[in-house]
Amino acid sequence: MTDAKVAAARPLTAKARIARMYRDGKLTTILLFLPPALLLFTLFVVTPILNAAHLSLYRWSGFGEVTDYVGLKNYSTLFAHSIFHQSMWNSVKIILASILLQIPLALGLALLIYRKTPTNTLFRLVFLAPYILAEIASGLIWSFMFDGDYGVSAQVASALSMPSFYILADKQFAFLAIITVIVWKYFGFHMMIFIAALQSVPGELLEAASLDCRKSWQIVAFVKLPLISHAIKLSVFFSIIGSLQVFDIIIPLTNGGPSNSTHSIVSYLYTFGLTRLNVGYGSAVGVALFLFCVFTALTYKRLVIREGKSA
Amino acid sequence: MATVQFKNVNKCFGATEVIPDISLNIPHGSFTVFVGPSGCGKSTLLRMVAGLEEVSAGSIAIDQQDVTFVRPVDRGVAMVFQSYALYPHMNVEQNIGFGLKMAKVPADEVKRRVHAAAETLQLDQLLKRKPGELSGGQRQRVAIGRAIVREPKVFLFDEPLSNLDAALRTQMRIELAQLHKRLGATMIYVTHDQVEAMTLADQIVVLNKGRIEQVGSPMELYLNPRTLFVAGFIGSPKMNLINGATAGRFDAHTLGIRPEHIDICHDAGQWQGKVIISEQLGSDTYLHLDVPGAGNIIARAPGDASFTAGQQVGLAPRNDCLHRFDAQGQALE
Ligand SMILES: Nc1ncnc2c1ncn2[C@@H]1O[C@H](COP(=O)(O)OP(=O)(O)OP(=O)(O)O)[C@@H](O)[C@H]1O
Ligand SMILES: [Mg+2]
Repeated sequence: MTDAKVAAARPLTAKARIARMYRDGKLTTILLFLPPALLLFTLFVVTPILNAAHLSLYRWSGFGEVTDYVGLKNYSTLFAHSIFHQSMWNSVKIILASILLQIPLALGLALLIYRKTPTNTLFRLVFLAPYILAEIASGLIWSFMFDGDYGVSAQVASALSMPSFYILADKQFAFLAIITVIVWKYFGFHMMIFIAALQSVPGELLEAASLDCRKSWQIVAFVKLPLISHAIKLSVFFSIIGSLQVFDIIIPLTNGGPSNSTHSIVSYLYTFGLTRLNVGYGSAVGVALFLFCVFTALTYKRLVIREGKSA
Repeated sequence: MATVQFKNVNKCFGATEVIPDISLNIPHGSFTVFVGPSGCGKSTLLRMVAGLEEVSAGSIAIDQQDVTFVRPVDRGVAMVFQSYALYPHMNVEQNIGFGLKMAKVPADEVKRRVHAAAETLQLDQLLKRKPGELSGGQRQRVAIGRAIVREPKVFLFDEPLSNLDAALRTQMRIELAQLHKRLGATMIYVTHDQVEAMTLADQIVVLNKGRIEQVGSPMELYLNPRTLFVAGFIGSPKMNLINGATAGRFDAHTLGIRPEHIDICHDAGQWQGKVIISEQLGSDTYLHLDVPGAGNIIARAPGDASFTAGQQVGLAPRNDCLHRFDAQGQALE
């Protein structure tokens, strides 16, 4: 619809465009509002990243002068470190679990309780509760659940007269337990996004669908889901970025163990960079994580969100 | 035969009773129009036929079969919504064919029927467009196309033209009338525009506060309104309604006379009136008059007649066109 406008606007030179922006007051707006935002962004985002990139080239404990230049050695150590590989792989597993378990779960529940009724409001509150809880608190709650000596799992084991088991100390199950907690913690958030989207679907459209569709799954698959596809795409995006940054669930549950098998990228950074006073190395992890996030975000945006094509 | 029957239908939303008790027959192949003021229950009645709204008591039958508890999709009805309700993520072709696809009609059959409908509605050039890229009138046609392809027993329209501009509305009105003639299907049409009601309907149902005031052909309602409400609702400009002594002289509580049934004579007529304002529409001139003993009266004069405000004229109501009503608003014979 705006094709003609775009075509007409293209030949404008930069100078003419600025002149036009000056005339309609846009230039003033930009000059007035851009600097504060730019300043904050520079101060709190750009500077730390550049700082980290700089530090990642040094061996530095966090104290004293930054003098011990080591070039890309931190990076080569990082990429050769098997625990880093494991933590990357763990992050990928968290992403997959988020997309394949959490989002379908959130979507299913949203479809069940998106209508405005008193019972639904109650369910919504219950399902959202884990998300409202602080991460550390949920970590502690679940570490009690999983505790093989005094926790809920101990009670279950004794009730079934089985030997007590220590899920979080088991190399096979510890990470599964973490994934469970992550899904439990964040599905409510995605559910709320879906509920909001479903509520904005016009009622007449669903009525039209109820005249067209024989089965209720047909309405879901062909009308409801396509109409909230933008919300689903956004949710997946949040899931991916969130998964890459998981940290404060892992620390209280396993602290990365047993034998460093349950680290995420961030808990790896924290353990090997900060607690071991190897800030240069930690910075290298941070830079790698940053690049990974940017790459993922851009790829996702290009492949899935595609401006104008969605909606 | 696709008749629609309401039997003692009652509808309540919570504690508010919207439709107390309606019984109505809609014959096969008729174009029935529900008219009435806003909030009188027209849409509710239509939506109950579609199954989008449950009846609180009574029953509805389509094609002699009780459908009161049948799901909307199984009732054999198609509905055109006021907002069109087109699926924004589907193009015109998919929108029109969606119901058939869901009913597992073979793909080539769907295609054939969609293209046939598109041709009837002059949509063949637009099949690949999304609803967002269509004009209001085109969207309306897609919505109608979506109804046609399903070959329903009953078409339901809820104020389908109210979002269109005047010119397009007239055009679509004619197209709808032609469509009805061609398909011969039963159609129920809700509007509060009485021009649409008069021109499209072969049966008008006038509703007021959830009750049927009168059912009949447009001319029947125009010539013989059985209640004061119908008399005031049908016809444009409205029928003049006169109370008091003037009505009393005709043994009525209220006397009704249409503007077109008052002749204007320059000498003394039955009534004397002073022109307040004269509206010249080209084809007709409507005089708003102040008549002592009768109040404000509208009378129709030929289009080329010219009057000035303040002018005194004589009025001669045609005595065979008078409508008399009692204190309860019922017509007197
Ligand atoms: N879902 C609902 N809940 C409660 N009351 C409702 C509901 N739908 C309609 N009503 C009420 O029922 C009455 C009839 O509504 P309806 O929509 O049938 O009117 P209508 O004749 O179609 O009016 P309009 O010409 O304005 O569309 C109104 O008083 C309305 O407030
Ligand atoms: Mg209505």
